[in-house]
Amino acid sequence: MPPSADLLQGTLDMLILKAIALEPEHGWAIAQRIQQISGNVLTIGQGSLYPALHRLEYKGWIRAHWGASENNRRARFYSLTAAGRKQLSAELENWGRLTGAVNLVLERI
Amino acid sequence: MLREWLSRVRFFVTSKRRREVDEEIQFHLERQVEANVAAGMPAAEARRQAMIAFGSRERAREECREERPSWGLESLWRDVRYGVRGLARNPGFATVAVLTLALAIGLNTTIFSLLDQALMQTLPVANPDQLVVLSFAGDHPGHTHSDGGNSPGHAHEFSYPMYKDLRDRNTVFSGLIAAAPITVGVTWNNHPESVGAELVTGNYFEVIGVRPAVGQLFVASDETAAGANPVAVLSFDYWKTHLAEAAVTGKTLLVNGAPFTITGVAAPGFHSMVWGRTPDVFVPITEQKVLVPEWDYLNDHSSYWIDSIGRLRPGMIAAQAQASLNTLFLSLRQAEFTLLHDQSEKARTGFIDKAHINLDEGAKGFSPLRGDVQMPLTIIMGMVLLVIAMAVVNVASLLLVRAAGRSQEFAVRYALGATTGQVLRQLLAEGLLLGLCGAALGLALAPEALHLLIRWMSGGSTETLAFTPTLDWRVLLFTLGVTVLASLLFSLAPMAQFQNPKLAESMKERGGSGGGRSLKFRRSCVALQIGFSLLLLVAAGLFVRTIENLKHVDPGFATDHLLAFNLNPALAGYPAAGVAPLEQRSIDAVAALPGVRGVGATNDSDLAGNDIQGDVAASGYTPKPDEDFDVELQWVSNGYLQTLGVPLVAGRYFNAGDTATSQKVAIVNEKFAQHFYGDARAALGHVVSRPTRPGTEATIVGVVRDVKHESVRDPAMPTNYTLFTQAPKQAGLTFYVRTWQPPDAAANTIRASIANIDGKLIVGDLRTLTEEIDENLLAERSIAMLATVFGALAAVLAGIGLYGILAYSTAQRTREIGIRMALGAQRGTVVRLIVRETMVLAGGAVVVTIPLAMLATQAVRSQLFGVSIADPVVYGAGIVVICLVAGLAGFVPARRAATVDPARALRTD
Repeated sequence: MPPSADLLQGTLDMLILKAIALEPEHGWAIAQRIQQISGNVLTIGQGSLYPALHRLEYKGWIRAHWGASENNRRARFYSLTAAGRKQLSAELENWGRLTGAVNLVLERI
Repeated sequence: MLREWLSRVRFFVTSKRRREVDEEIQFHLERQVEANVAAGMPAAEARRQAMIAFGSRERAREECREERPSWGLESLWRDVRYGVRGLARNPGFATVAVLTLALAIGLNTTIFSLLDQALMQTLPVANPDQLVVLSFAGDHPGHTHSDGGNSPGHAHEFSYPMYKDLRDRNTVFSGLIAAAPITVGVTWNNHPESVGAELVTGNYFEVIGVRPAVGQLFVASDETAAGANPVAVLSFDYWKTHLAEAAVTGKTLLVNGAPFTITGVAAPGFHSMVWGRTPDVFVPITEQKVLVPEWDYLNDHSSYWIDSIGRLRPGMIAAQAQASLNTLFLSLRQAEFTLLHDQSEKARTGFIDKAHINLDEGAKGFSPLRGDVQMPLTIIMGMVLLVIAMAVVNVASLLLVRAAGRSQEFAVRYALGATTGQVLRQLLAEGLLLGLCGAALGLALAPEALHLLIRWMSGGSTETLAFTPTLDWRVLLFTLGVTVLASLLFSLAPMAQFQNPKLAESMKERGGSGGGRSLKFRRSCVALQIGFSLLLLVAAGLFVRTIENLKHVDPGFATDHLLAFNLNPALAGYPAAGVAPLEQRSIDAVAALPGVRGVGATNDSDLAGNDIQGDVAASGYTPKPDEDFDVELQWVSNGYLQTLGVPLVAGRYFNAGDTATSQKVAIVNEKFAQHFYGDARAALGHVVSRPTRPGTEATIVGVVRDVKHESVRDPAMPTNYTLFTQAPKQAGLTFYVRTWQPPDAAANTIRASIANIDGKLIVGDLRTLTEEIDENLLAERSIAMLATVFGALAAVLAGIGLYGILAYSTAQRTREIGIRMALGAQRGTVVRLIVRETMVLAGGAVVVTIPLAMLATQAVRSQLFGVSIADPVVYGAGIVVICLVAGLAGFVPARRAATVDPARALRTD
């Protein structure tokens, strides 16, 4: 197993929103992307990805539609809604503030 | 936020299909397998790794479902289904629990509805919160006609001139109205009857915002010059029940013999601006002298007789309005003061300096009745709350017993992965289900119970009552609140047992003692039930003793075989001068009837809660400075004292020689003689009069024994009896007829003989004096009756609850009992053992409850009569009843346990 870190409560939602910010993706690709880009540090317990996707969909932040995958199979693609975009920028700002503050404390002490 | 909710609502309606989720997960796995293969894994290993990476599919599926907006409802529905199945498996338990709850909730709803109507409901009018009730502080020399409901600094009766000035010159009200209650005789289709009426100002209906059901209601211009506008509006109830919804607009109604044109019928549900008043007919206030000729109040500044309510202008605050109105009121009082006889500095202080006006919150209307019913209703409400507390404990103990038998079921659930939260939720769902079933049945019963209760309170009379058998939203809300709270409470009981059970132990536990904690809980339930029911039994006992005492109070004269009825010739349109002679003729006519032993009449009926009081000047007596000694002033016929049987102490009774033209005479009672002359004999020959009424001087010719007058509760007042034939004014009289005939037969001959004099005369409210006393004790009787019902119910509930718990815990001890019997214990010993345990528990509960009961009854002391709050008979009887119930509830299961064959009992485990 690659080394992994537990995801902070609530960060999974942000990561998902960010992962589909540019273009619609299906669940597997989202998990894959997060894992790869984080250098295999962040592994999403894949079983928890789908409940999170559904939760975001029910909240109206992302929207789902069936489409063809890169290997031409029927897959469910998720894309950001306007509300999701707003939510993402709010969460990013929050995250920036939080990490900035934590870093500041770590540097000074 | 809103969008988020909208989105949730959308998905609530169109939830994703299960198949879609499956397909999505399937795709994910296959894609992972492909990726693994591409990375060089063999196919089987690629699949295995993909599965491992994904984790439990079932779990993921489950979690996706739980994210659904409709999930909460779905799981609730599942819990309810389980609940229904669980209850159906045990119908006996469910029936007892639901019936118990239905009774308790139904009672609570019924009583709360009365409380709601009396104390909380606003008048059924437009914007009731703008209404304010006017009252004032300051002296009011002159006549006051009060219905009650006044408190120091809050006199509610105004004079008509004062009302008009306030109405026309204020800047704070969008309307100011006033009304006064009177009794009138109406004749419709040649059928005369006596009804309640209200003299109202022209703007009355407009300002409070009552619409007509038929025709038109009064408008401001209906308040004209005195007597110039004989019109009438009917109440909806009267129109419906007495006039059969006839076409009445423009028709003539005889009111006190004078023709009035009916203009319309008020909207259904509206009775009066004063809660508790139920007038059948409304008449413009300017018709006062037409209807009550002996009053002349319209121009009199010192006749205080109308209640007033104002509607504040929109945006006006009551405090601000009061300040503004006070300035006007004080300037009007300054002007009125100049009209008074007494211009002394002291009078000025009392009349002007101490005067101010109050605007009190009026959404519920002013109501003297409200004050009367508040205490009794609060007491009854307290008792029904105890009943529901009992029901909660009862159902809780039943649930506990049932839950104990289900410990394995729950152990299995925990083993299958149910969380404590899920188990608790299911128990709650079952509890709520029971509660809601009980509430539904209770609510279904409540209107009928309310109807019965109201009818019982009205004593079978047909007049419109202040209470109506309807449940409004506040009552429904109350019932829902009580139900949910009660359900939560009794659902908590089994939770106490199941919270965090040691799994293995639970699995092993079979028919054990049920654990220390639940045993303690069960004992507390038993103790609570005994305590609550003892409390209710004591209350019942105290109130029953009270009503018994009141019924057996000796008022000083014999109340049996005495018929009473009212006769007021003025209601039949007789002119003032004709009234007294007609009354005398009626007395003579009734006296001549066969079987009649005596007839008397008075203007102030006995033991009916009425009094007419005032001060007197007595010759040969110098009042102490600032003496304020009021006496009862009764006008009577010359046979009255003899008919009632009031014993003579000195001098003589009135007799036929005392006529309208002979010397004015008076008879006083001992208290009167004692106060003014120190002795009965010393009073004879002195002259008494009303200080401000010339021509009322009467010589005392006799002294009689003190008798109760206002009610059996109140002590006798010092009394001055004078003859109605010698009185300065005419008055309606109450007749008392002493006859050995059965009341019905006598009533018929009396009606016939009065009708024989004049068919228009109305024989009003014919009843026996015993009935009159009963009616006057309505509050006490109601409390006693309801308390008895609640007490009996409490005893039954306690019996059921105790039996349930004891039957269970005894069954649990079968093994122990088997051992005891195998070791040589006799059946009797075993029964005694179990019954003794129950009785010790009951004894403990009784000892704790008694001081609590004494504390609680302190609060209702004012409603008791002739019985101490520590009455030994009451407590003794309560304890005996509760011990009998407890003993019986213990004995039955104990006997069953004792008949068990020891060998079999030992084998059970």
